[in-house]
Amino acid sequence: MKRTVFLATLMMFFLIGSWAWAQDTIKIGVVGPRTGPAAATGKAFEEGIAIALDHINARGGVLGKKVEVIFEDTGGVPEKAASAFEKLATRDKVPIVVGESHSSSALAEIEVANRYKVPLIICEAWHDDITKKNYRWVFRAGPVNSGVVDFYIAPFVKDNGFKKVAIVRENSDWGVGIAERTETNMKNLGIPFVTLKVERESKDFYTELTKIKGENPDIVLAYIYGTGLHFFVSQANEVGLSPKSLILDGAGPPSLWDTFWKNVGKAGEMELFMSSMHEKVHLTPTSRKFWEDYKKKFGKDPTDYKTRSIYNVVLIAVDAIARAKSTENEALVNALEKTSLEVTTGVVKFGLKQGTYEYHQWMPPMLVVQWQDQKQVVVYPKEAAMGALMKGK
Amino acid sequence: MSELLMYLTNGIVIGVINAISAIGVSLIVGIMKVVNFAHGELYIFAGYFSYHLSVSLGVPPLLAMPLSIFLIFLIGIGMERTLIRPTYGDEMYSLIITFVLSIVLQNAALLIFGPYPQKPPNWVTGAMNIFGLYHYGNQRILSFFISIGVLLSIFYLIKRTWFGKSIRAISQDREMAALVGVDHLKVNMLAFGLGAALAGAAGVVLSPIFPVTPSGSSSVSLNAFIVVVLGGMGSLKGCVVGGLILGILENLGAAYISTMYRHIFGFIILILVLVFRPWGLFGQKTQ
Amino acid sequence: MGNKKLWISFAFIILALFPPLFLSQYWLHVMIISLFYVMMASSWNLIAGFTGQVSFAHAAFSGMGAYTSGMLTVYLGLPPWLGILIGTGVAALLGFGLGYLCIRMGGIYLSLTTLGFSEILRIIITNEDQWTRGTMGLQVPGFFVEYSKTSYYYLFLIVTILLLIVIYKIIHSEMGLTFRAVLNDEVAASSSGINTVRVRVLAFAISSAMSGLAGGFYGHYLMLITPDVPSLGQMFLVLAMAVIGGMGSFAGPIVGSFVLEILSEYIRVYGEYHVLLFGLIALAMARFAPEGVVGILRKKWRREWA
Repeated sequence: MKRTVFLATLMMFFLIGSWAWAQDTIKIGVVGPRTGPAAATGKAFEEGIAIALDHINARGGVLGKKVEVIFEDTGGVPEKAASAFEKLATRDKVPIVVGESHSSSALAEIEVANRYKVPLIICEAWHDDITKKNYRWVFRAGPVNSGVVDFYIAPFVKDNGFKKVAIVRENSDWGVGIAERTETNMKNLGIPFVTLKVERESKDFYTELTKIKGENPDIVLAYIYGTGLHFFVSQANEVGLSPKSLILDGAGPPSLWDTFWKNVGKAGEMELFMSSMHEKVHLTPTSRKFWEDYKKKFGKDPTDYKTRSIYNVVLIAVDAIARAKSTENEALVNALEKTSLEVTTGVVKFGLKQGTYEYHQWMPPMLVVQWQDQKQVVVYPKEAAMGALMKGK
Repeated sequence: MSELLMYLTNGIVIGVINAISAIGVSLIVGIMKVVNFAHGELYIFAGYFSYHLSVSLGVPPLLAMPLSIFLIFLIGIGMERTLIRPTYGDEMYSLIITFVLSIVLQNAALLIFGPYPQKPPNWVTGAMNIFGLYHYGNQRILSFFISIGVLLSIFYLIKRTWFGKSIRAISQDREMAALVGVDHLKVNMLAFGLGAALAGAAGVVLSPIFPVTPSGSSSVSLNAFIVVVLGGMGSLKGCVVGGLILGILENLGAAYISTMYRHIFGFIILILVLVFRPWGLFGQKTQ
Repeated sequence: MGNKKLWISFAFIILALFPPLFLSQYWLHVMIISLFYVMMASSWNLIAGFTGQVSFAHAAFSGMGAYTSGMLTVYLGLPPWLGILIGTGVAALLGFGLGYLCIRMGGIYLSLTTLGFSEILRIIITNEDQWTRGTMGLQVPGFFVEYSKTSYYYLFLIVTILLLIVIYKIIHSEMGLTFRAVLNDEVAASSSGINTVRVRVLAFAISSAMSGLAGGFYGHYLMLITPDVPSLGQMFLVLAMAVIGGMGSFAGPIVGSFVLEILSEYIRVYGEYHVLLFGLIALAMARFAPEGVVGILRKKWRREWA
């Protein structure tokens, strides 16, 4: 009996002790998928965070303290994302959270951010609503569906004179949102299109591809995030759809993952994808520094552009803490609204006009890249193009 | 027209591979009255073994495949000896144990092999233009013929060898079989190993087409269960016919009704069969 | 209820009133989730532990409750309590129907049918995303205007206690005795005039209704419902809690739920492997100590005190 009481008391202290650790570092929360179908994004995030912390702590951290990151896994599913954010806010009591690359998860997280009033900077979740909801605590320094479609994908389709478009979209918020925006744009441009829904984790696309082949499109806009895209590309070649019809990966990273060429084989040739990073395109000195330090640290070239996106938002968060001279939430939001910081993709300034998705939004320039002889060739926009678009027969 | 032929071809190819996997489940149910919920995980492990043997260790694919199947056979025997044997006669615990085992193996696969889909190298690449009507992947065509080969050897094993005769004797009348000198513990063990090996065979044949992921295991198990219930528990012929029906139905349903509901057609069959003809197409009506 | 048991229960209930005074928001959250699992595991135990039928649709029924209530509150503006009431009813009806169709066919068939049912439900929820929002998650209103973990904690505590009282009453009623008669010896039970099928169908429907109720509250607490609620992963957790705590005993699933949920918070730092660990523990328990933690403790105490 005595032992039981002793054990119970011990348990109590353990419980209480676990949240009462002294704070001698500044902790930044990160949310993103480390497991699940897009676990590769978590890896890319880890690399970007490591470089960001190296850079920041080499300068002596912020407010005289070292910066540390707590990376909570979302598994790429909204309910885990919400509880991950809640943990960061209530258990770790972080002053600010950055990250995320799934729109559905981000849409769950912004509700929690709003509830606990913790500033959140999204880097790679593209759904319009994330900023369109105009939450005071939510910022985004990354692509937004409407921006990607209006300024890159739709003009790319138009300028290359494609006559017929097939839109393939997964059943996620990102997929639904970007497909709808594309449809609107195609209607305005008068380009005929068909839309097909696919399951996010599907591995067999023969049926869908046979249907698309019957439509004979010039280009297939594939809004599929994850390894599913690899199977889509390789099977498109098997059923004889590509390379006669080109395929554009509307997200980008899956076409850059290590496993891409192993999974698609020759079918990857001439595949197109969206990106915000290329070896030869350096918009700022920070971009070059990032590239060099990445090569030094990891002994290879960076591939997934989301490594750089997370690097950017960690920098933005630390910059805000430095200017606010505090980790208090109101002060941080005020500082974020006055951000003017050079990152790898340009100078970040958040929009302040309420009412649209442009509120608290900053979007980096994007590129359309094509695999030509297993090399990345920027083919759009014209100012950045390194070569001509290759079309199949 | 060419589209319809394409869907049918795909249905038949997938159907035959369904059948191999389902025979593995059916054998075990027929003899031991145990549903192995960890069937899909064995399939996944076989795919990963085959991938790592050929890619990481450089074993030639033709050797890596039987080697992976043999490893799965050993795992199956190990499972039977340690976990399944003590549950004979206690249906509830055998259901709970194999279900928990499936979760354990699935998470073990996640720990050992990681979350990424892996795909052993293709044996052949490219596609064939069939009768000038449609293109079909060479890998799929070859997998189809190998599966037919596997099916024929199982039928031979069960209809023509002493092992097959003991299996049939036990599944028909356990006590009678014991009287004529069949060692049922040994047969149970071998049959469980063979059932596991068949999951492995399906995994090895199919993984170059559909890469394996730890989370993909439950749909493999569920497909096998649907086929077994549809064909009738313990019936080999039922597995083949059931497998083909499921494969064709899923592909036609996906093409003409809804691609998103591809996997629901099988479950609707499962429920309908269970309600109206629980003994299946070729099973024996016992109750 | 014996006098001693009554006092022990009272003591627990009094103790349960205090956590909000000293626990952080985060640990209150863990307590609330634990209470949800207590409801799930205890009601699953009612059919599995007391009538010997392994249903794999328990998580699916909780999803039924959560989605029904969630959609009613979102699209028709019903108050959450009314939504949960209707959700519970829907789960009960479906449970009755499913039970009626397949219980007479016996163990393996029930397990396979319930497995099939949960897959069908998952596919429909995932694909009808214009209504359910599929994997994107349906955002639903909460119970309270002002969000407060303390209020949710007391709400869950009350509901859980009420549900446990009902379960306790059932187990110790005439119906409970027939449940156990069915479990121990089906042939003897049916020859003594008990309609075994009817008893099992009834148990199945009650248990499904409870799971729907638990799911409804869970959804309005998280304010976000996704296909993870009716998933097989969730089903496994519930099953593991009952098996590790002790199937076929009243206290088993309660102990199992708290132990596993709190444990999972501590081992979370090691990544996603807590599921693997729970699986291994459950496997070892099912194999070597099918009476669970509660069974082991009970044996030990009896030896010490008798």
